[in-house]
Amino acid sequence: MNKRFILTAEGVTKSFDGFKAINDLNFYLDEGELRTIIGPNGAGKSTFLDLITGRTRPDEGQIEFKGTPVIKKTEYQIYRMGIGRKFQTPSVYSDHTVYENILLGLKGSRGVFGAIFGRVTPAQNDQIHHVLEIINLKDKAQVRAGTLAHGQKQWLEIGMLIAQDPELMLVDEPAAGMTDEETARTGELLLSLAGKHTIIVIEHDMTFVRQLANRVTVLHQGSILREGSLDEVQNDERVIEVYLGKKKHDAIHPQH
Amino acid sequence: MHRLKLFCLAAMLPTLLLHAETDPDAAVRQSIARAVTGSAAEQDSVLQQIAASEVVTKTEHDLLASWNNGEIYLYDDPSGKSIPIVLEQSDADKTRAFRVDTGELLQDSNGAPVMIDPTTATAADINAALRKKIQRTLDLLSLADPSPDVRRGTAFKLGTSQKPENLPILEARLKTERDTGVKNILLQATALIELADSAHPDRQIAAANQLGKMNSIGGLDSVAGLADSKSAAPEVKQAAEKAAQSIRSYLAIVNFFGTIFRGFSLGSILLVSALGLAITFGLMGVINMAHGEMIAVGAYTTYVVENVFRDGLPLSPLGISIQLPGLHLSGWLFQTYFIFAIPLSFLTAALAGLALERLVIRFLYRRVLESLLATWGVSLIMQQLFRLVFGANNVQVNSPSWLLGNFTISDVILGYNRIFVIVFAILIVVGTWLLLTKTPLGLFIRAVIQDRDMAACMGVPTQKVNMLTFAFGSGLAGLAGAFLSQIGNVGPSLGQSYIIDSFMTVVVGGVGSIAGTVVSAVGIGCSDQVLQQVLGSPVLGKITVLAGIILFLQWKPGGFFPTRSRSLDS
Amino acid sequence: MHKSFRQAEIWGIAIAAIAILGVLPALNAFVPESSPLHVSDFTINLYGKYLCYAVLAISVDLLWGYTGLLSLGQCMFFALGGYAFGMHLMLLIGKLGQYHSDLPDFMVFLGYPKLPLHWEPFRSFWFAVAAVVFVPGLVALVFGFLAFRSRIRGVYFSILTQALTYAACLMFFRNDFTFGGNNGLTDFKFILGYDIRSAVTQRCLFIATGVLLILTYLFCRWLTLTRFGKIQRAVRDSENRVLFSGYAAANFKLFVFVVSAIIAGLAGALYVPQVGIINPSEMAPDKSLEAVVWVAVGGRGTLIGPVVGAIAVNALKSWATRAYPDLWLIILGGMFVIVVLFLPKGIVGLPMQLWSLFKRSTTLWKKVQEQHAGTTELPIKESSTRQGG
Repeated sequence: MNKRFILTAEGVTKSFDGFKAINDLNFYLDEGELRTIIGPNGAGKSTFLDLITGRTRPDEGQIEFKGTPVIKKTEYQIYRMGIGRKFQTPSVYSDHTVYENILLGLKGSRGVFGAIFGRVTPAQNDQIHHVLEIINLKDKAQVRAGTLAHGQKQWLEIGMLIAQDPELMLVDEPAAGMTDEETARTGELLLSLAGKHTIIVIEHDMTFVRQLANRVTVLHQGSILREGSLDEVQNDERVIEVYLGKKKHDAIHPQH
Repeated sequence: MHRLKLFCLAAMLPTLLLHAETDPDAAVRQSIARAVTGSAAEQDSVLQQIAASEVVTKTEHDLLASWNNGEIYLYDDPSGKSIPIVLEQSDADKTRAFRVDTGELLQDSNGAPVMIDPTTATAADINAALRKKIQRTLDLLSLADPSPDVRRGTAFKLGTSQKPENLPILEARLKTERDTGVKNILLQATALIELADSAHPDRQIAAANQLGKMNSIGGLDSVAGLADSKSAAPEVKQAAEKAAQSIRSYLAIVNFFGTIFRGFSLGSILLVSALGLAITFGLMGVINMAHGEMIAVGAYTTYVVENVFRDGLPLSPLGISIQLPGLHLSGWLFQTYFIFAIPLSFLTAALAGLALERLVIRFLYRRVLESLLATWGVSLIMQQLFRLVFGANNVQVNSPSWLLGNFTISDVILGYNRIFVIVFAILIVVGTWLLLTKTPLGLFIRAVIQDRDMAACMGVPTQKVNMLTFAFGSGLAGLAGAFLSQIGNVGPSLGQSYIIDSFMTVVVGGVGSIAGTVVSAVGIGCSDQVLQQVLGSPVLGKITVLAGIILFLQWKPGGFFPTRSRSLDS
Repeated sequence: MHKSFRQAEIWGIAIAAIAILGVLPALNAFVPESSPLHVSDFTINLYGKYLCYAVLAISVDLLWGYTGLLSLGQCMFFALGGYAFGMHLMLLIGKLGQYHSDLPDFMVFLGYPKLPLHWEPFRSFWFAVAAVVFVPGLVALVFGFLAFRSRIRGVYFSILTQALTYAACLMFFRNDFTFGGNNGLTDFKFILGYDIRSAVTQRCLFIATGVLLILTYLFCRWLTLTRFGKIQRAVRDSENRVLFSGYAAANFKLFVFVVSAIIAGLAGALYVPQVGIINPSEMAPDKSLEAVVWVAVGGRGTLIGPVVGAIAVNALKSWATRAYPDLWLIILGGMFVIVVLFLPKGIVGLPMQLWSLFKRSTTLWKKVQEQHAGTTELPIKESSTRQGG
């Protein structure tokens, strides 16, 4: 096993009722890398993230984070190992305020009694305000998260991720539902986080992917079709066929 | 009974007498009449003659039985002759009588019937020795009875009496008996008698071995008694002990299959009631706590139909009295009521379900907990309505006679009503499966189960599908109620005793899965019955099943056949 | 909920405390019976019962309203607490029972040769008090551990808790379970050396219940203000998200479940000496559902709602079961349907609901006036219907 990979997935297979969502997938990620995963709908992108974060378990294969297997662990154990995730559809606590959302995501004690007797320290308070500043929601701190606009919810969830400060960030379609300007800002944000954190981004928006300008992995039918820079990938015959040839298919079977 | 039969026979006799020479009973009658008044020797010869005869007539049997019971009286006619007679009614002040020797009505010289006072009439003399002889003759006759059931019963009775004097007649019969079932009992009976023969330990051992080999459940008490007796020889005790063990293990198997059978029938009822619950829950994400009351609706419908077929039913809901008219049917016409009650139970429960869906549940789709609470409110209301309409006490539904009997396979008793329930449950499962897979409604239902929004977009009339499915599910509960009315009493809280079990069935089976519901219903039904048997108490059995279910869900939280969902909050 | 209301809340609690702990007992003790202000012993006893129910209702709400766990077996914990304390009271009867034996009457009747071993320690008051806390707590801990570990959620949890209380109810109905079978424990004579039926004792029990209620309220309020309270509500709204925020949701649920079981047990322990009997029908599945009705009627997700609901519904019950005995169940059932369908926030939320209805209709009216004729766009209803779990 090569030490320098932060995340490895080897021979991973997962099927749902006979449909192979992930098929003998091998995936390696360097520490500090910003990787983008693209692929048509149903390629298994979100399922892959589900497998890493413990939402589902693979039928076969091994996934290791910094040399430790994750597949038998629960969601919160994996989280505590240092893997954070932003979901495809924004999932924030809509009845809580923006401030409280960040507070719940904040790195620190996760125990029951710590939650009862612990106080928010001034340092934590500063940190929360710092995050709120980054995600541009400072003046909405006391607003119920459920009332935010879609793009703001996306940012709030990214903010929760930043507050968590995980080693590995999994970001599922961060730009969905954002304006062009917001998308560009999100790209900048992710670029600024790269290096300190290792990041996997799943995205459809090619402008956004181009902005990130990093290594791209193309998933197709549950396994890797091509890996390389965006230009290499875009000129690959098989990738073009998958994207163009399968267009009709996608229209019939949207993922959600 | 005998009395009545005799009377019927006697009433026919005057016509028969026209052909006195051809009447086969004439000779018998006369000889019995002679014996009643005759000497002991005469009586012996008559009884022997009867016992030896190949063909036994009913008259013979009935007259002997009357004699044995002291129901033959003597009438002194004016000429001083004693005439044996039987009375038409034994409990009347004055009654007519029939002559034993001719079967004719007893008449005085003017041809008018002689009226006898039963309390003052003199019974024919009969002593213990004679009674014993008559009884033996009767037993002999019963052993030769054309009906195997009678032969079996007599053989069993003679065997358990363990009286050595019965041995010869049993052995004699054994030689001529052809029916294997009766032969079996005869063998057991002879063995039982020999088992008591303490003078011959070798015979006792052979008998014990025989009983053990035949797995004679009826002989268990005697064998076990012998094994424990202090006086018996050690070898005998050993053989008896071995036989007892063998019979006990056989009995355990019989009990086990009997338990499994009851388990299947309980499982079938759970299945029918849980099937509706599984479909509505799987389809609409609605928990219907009033499902139990739908069962009660079905049961009460059966009750009403039964009473309408009979003499009608007075009801007084909220102080208004209503008299349901009755059809005053009897006989086989009345027995058909259940055939009408089944579809009607389905329909009324389905209508009640439809109303519930339109009035309450359609506002609560996908709000599982709220639907649970609101339907519990509905269930309270319905229970109280049952109380107001049908009274707070349980009512009894009389089963049609064709559901009352039972038959036996290797000592396992199978009741017709339970078999009926099992067969019907199978039919319902098959029907439901066909409905879901082969009809347009089924296609819609499956589409809505998979993805409600998508189905709506593709033009599936989800509202209508909901309505019909809910009605169908409630109708199934109504059917379960119709069956339950055949097994126990019907009361306002009938549904409450089944609702928790039904929910457990759905949870264990996996929501929305028919196969899962079938497996879990039969599984819960059987384990409930088996545990009841093992723990010796229904309550402990029930508690153990509940505990078992909680532990089972540790192992398979989604039930046997879990349904998957891809959304984060499902 | 809102921080600006906290001042008002403190005043409210203070007023309630004065009324329950001071005014009502004083009106009972010191005002002559002839006075219209006099509160009778019967009323004090009745209100004491209501206060026990209010504590029980808070425990239901702590689970349902705040954590999204609809427990349909809360009355089992209530009854367990009641039984634990009832056993102590039973042993205080001494030889004054019908059979003049050291054993409780039902044991003499059922032919017990001597006191079962597990009854022995209940001679001690403090042991009984410990049992009131630990028995419901331990049962909740074991059941909750198993249930939450296998991620039994939502309606499955509800059904299982219902099955649990049903099983317990069947068990306590058995004579050989050593807790008096279907007659339960009754005919208590003394508590802490005082005559349990005297007006003074009952008044003290009433005050004790009031103290329990206020303490429970304050404890739960404090809990909701901590980070724990925020996580609790997060579990209610999106349990899966909580897992992906690194919290072991099962532990949080287990903690709330155990705490609410203990609260229910304490309420049950104070209920028994005031009512004078505890029997298995207290844990029948219906009772727990009734407690849920109180919370729903009062308004779940608030702490004042359950108290209002428990008192209001039970006061209505006391009246209706006497005035219309045949119709009470229909009223109760109907109330439930109506509250669930039309008043999701209960009585406490009614003013807000009316206010938003009023606002909506005025904006609608304005729009209609602005547009005069033609099609009017209805304001899109905010889809705030949360999934119950």
